Amino acid sequence: MRAWPILLFVVAASFAALPAQAETPDAALAKLIEDARAEASVAGACAKPEFDRLVRVFCDNRLRPGVREYYPLFGTRQGQTRSGYDVDVARAVARHLGVEPVFTRVNAASRVPLLADDRIDVILATMGHNTQRDGQVRFIRPHYYQSETIMVGPRALPVKGWPDIGGRTICVTIGNGSNAQIVSHNARLMLFDEAGVLPGQLRDETCTLAAQDDSFFDYYFIEPDFAERFDKKFGFAQVPWGMAVARVASADRLARALDLMSQIFHRDGVFLEIARANRVGTGFLERQQAVWKRPECDTATGSTNPACVLPALKADLEPTPFAGRVAAFESWVKARTGIALSLPMFKTMPAWSLFKDGIANSLILIAGALAATLLFALVLGAVQSTRIFLIRWPARAVTVILQSSPVVLTLVIAAAVAHAFFAYSSAVAIGASIVALGLMNGSNAGQAIAEAMQSLRTERSAGPQRTVELFGRAISRAATQIVSFLINAAKGTPIASFIGAPELLSALTDITAFASGRATTYSLLLVFYVAIVVVVVWLCGRLRILLERRHA
Amino acid sequence: MIPFVPGLPADFVTQLLAGMAVNFQIAAIALAVGLALGALLAWSKLGGGILGAAATVLIGLMRAAPTFVVMFFLLNIIPRDATLFGIGVAPSGIMTVALSLVPYSASYVADNGAEALKQLRTGSTLGALLFLPNVTRAFFVLVMSSSAGAAIGVTEGIAVILREAALLPTLDQKLVLFAIGILFFGVTLQVGFAIMRLLQRHLGRRATGA
Repeated sequence: MRAWPILLFVVAASFAALPAQAETPDAALAKLIEDARAEASVAGACAKPEFDRLVRVFCDNRLRPGVREYYPLFGTRQGQTRSGYDVDVARAVARHLGVEPVFTRVNAASRVPLLADDRIDVILATMGHNTQRDGQVRFIRPHYYQSETIMVGPRALPVKGWPDIGGRTICVTIGNGSNAQIVSHNARLMLFDEAGVLPGQLRDETCTLAAQDDSFFDYYFIEPDFAERFDKKFGFAQVPWGMAVARVASADRLARALDLMSQIFHRDGVFLEIARANRVGTGFLERQQAVWKRPECDTATGSTNPACVLPALKADLEPTPFAGRVAAFESWVKARTGIALSLPMFKTMPAWSLFKDGIANSLILIAGALAATLLFALVLGAVQSTRIFLIRWPARAVTVILQSSPVVLTLVIAAAVAHAFFAYSSAVAIGASIVALGLMNGSNAGQAIAEAMQSLRTERSAGPQRTVELFGRAISRAATQIVSFLINAAKGTPIASFIGAPELLSALTDITAFASGRATTYSLLLVFYVAIVVVVVWLCGRLRILLERRHA
Repeated sequence: MIPFVPGLPADFVTQLLAGMAVNFQIAAIALAVGLALGALLAWSKLGGGILGAAATVLIGLMRAAPTFVVMFFLLNIIPRDATLFGIGVAPSGIMTVALSLVPYSASYVADNGAEALKQLRTGSTLGALLFLPNVTRAFFVLVMSSSAGAAIGVTEGIAVILREAALLPTLDQKLVLFAIGILFFGVTLQVGFAIMRLLQRHLGRRATGA
């Protein structure tokens, strides 16, 4: 009889020694949904102006996902029919919550602003999770997909890695997280709003190279004619994709519900099933399913366990020392005028550095183009004024050729010749641009000098003619034309960005490729160049008066 | 096939001519809009007063605006899904390039138009008629400047040349291709200037009654 109490004690002690059963994500999610539904059913709860976003989902009986409409396999729309992996994940989330999905079209540039404006509840739009975006939105963990950026181009194009990228134009989408990395390798960007246009741009050869997520190009590489013409050159910037909600306190419970749901979807193979149905790659999802089946991850706190979740891609841009004041100024302007001013060039160190260099390079380019125009004008003017036929006619031929070549083509030729002798660098691009702009405008001004020289010789055919003196008078007579082509040279400098010269237009295009505020940025750019040209016009006006007075 | 450039597609010349047609299309649009806007500005400028001063300032600013920057400004400032009364108003690539050339064409037309009106008022019909060859000259400048469209993906003549050049392996071959481009554009330009000179001569004869 005395053995029974001992046995009972041993059994009880054994149970006590077992670890407490961790709460499952399923139970935690069920409770969260139940509580939110209960709150939504309280009379008047849904009429509150500011209330919890998960509760609002139940009040409105709808979830508003922001999805893409032009991203094959992930988010597409034909008429009223939406399809793709992201769209089906959004439907699965809404179904799990027991509400209807109401979709809104987003793209890489609009998805975060739409979330911030509370026009969507959740972003499900091929958005890579990087540390830079962590400050803008609240990412859902675990991530629902993963991709890397790949460079795609014609098979014949000899591009194997970053060293082959310098000076080339790469077609990208605005807001793509890897744009900053491409820019850092001296490539120039051609920006597009939607990824869906990139294959078309490659096909019609508008773009020679395009950079976009591998998940995006997967669809096109299934097409035999696309795969026959193009191939992947190289890949970089592997990044996990995350759903995201607004980074506000009222969205905390919605974020938590989505965290738990994402865990469950990985563990139960829901993501995998949706991926297979949409024919997208499943390697990442298969690995994630194994992770989320592990007991230490399959808990209500699994989404915060560093051993289970993936880190965000490190893409933090160091803020400038005055970023706070710039942000305060933007808020001040918005509060007083309603204008949403955005000054990304003053907020992060890479953007600030690009901006400063852009201004300096623009000024160097303008000064160089003016000097080169004047120099070539004098040289070609003198050569075309000579009485020696064998010198005069080649110079005239050069002038006709330069006049017959569109500005972009002349720049490209100058760049091609420069690159044959020197390795690509910003200095080489600026130098080639100065020579090209100087030759184009200098040849025209030189022709004007030669014509003035000819007219002076005709007028003075009877009198003595000292060539140097006559040449000076010819310059005075052609002053208006010379000044006109000097102004033209200054106005033409932004086109140097076409061959990779890192002047202000090029710098601001790079900045807007990874930051917001395109409208403000390009308005400032226009003001800068118009102001510069106005100053050049004024200076040239003084020069013309000086030249005309010299031999008046 | 083009001699010395073996890698070029058989229909390269057709593609180039089609691209150059786009250059002409852009120039025609820019000139048409420039003529309308420029005439208005010239008329306002000659009218004097506040309106005249405003027109003078506006012409000065338009003259100073670099085409390439205006093109990127328009491209980035107008949303792709912009609508007016439910109608999409976002300009196409061709239209964006054409509009970026309008500040130049309008200021040029305003300057030359004002000068022509002055000449007409002083009784010099011949001086006023110089406006026509000047506009023809502006048209060919616009054709050449429209090559800037290559930077935003418009498939005009230079874009056709550049996309083929990117695939050529040697500098020699590229230079031959570029020379072909200069030849095509050069012939067009010189023919244009010849037409302009003929027009000038013809008008001169008519004005003097010769």
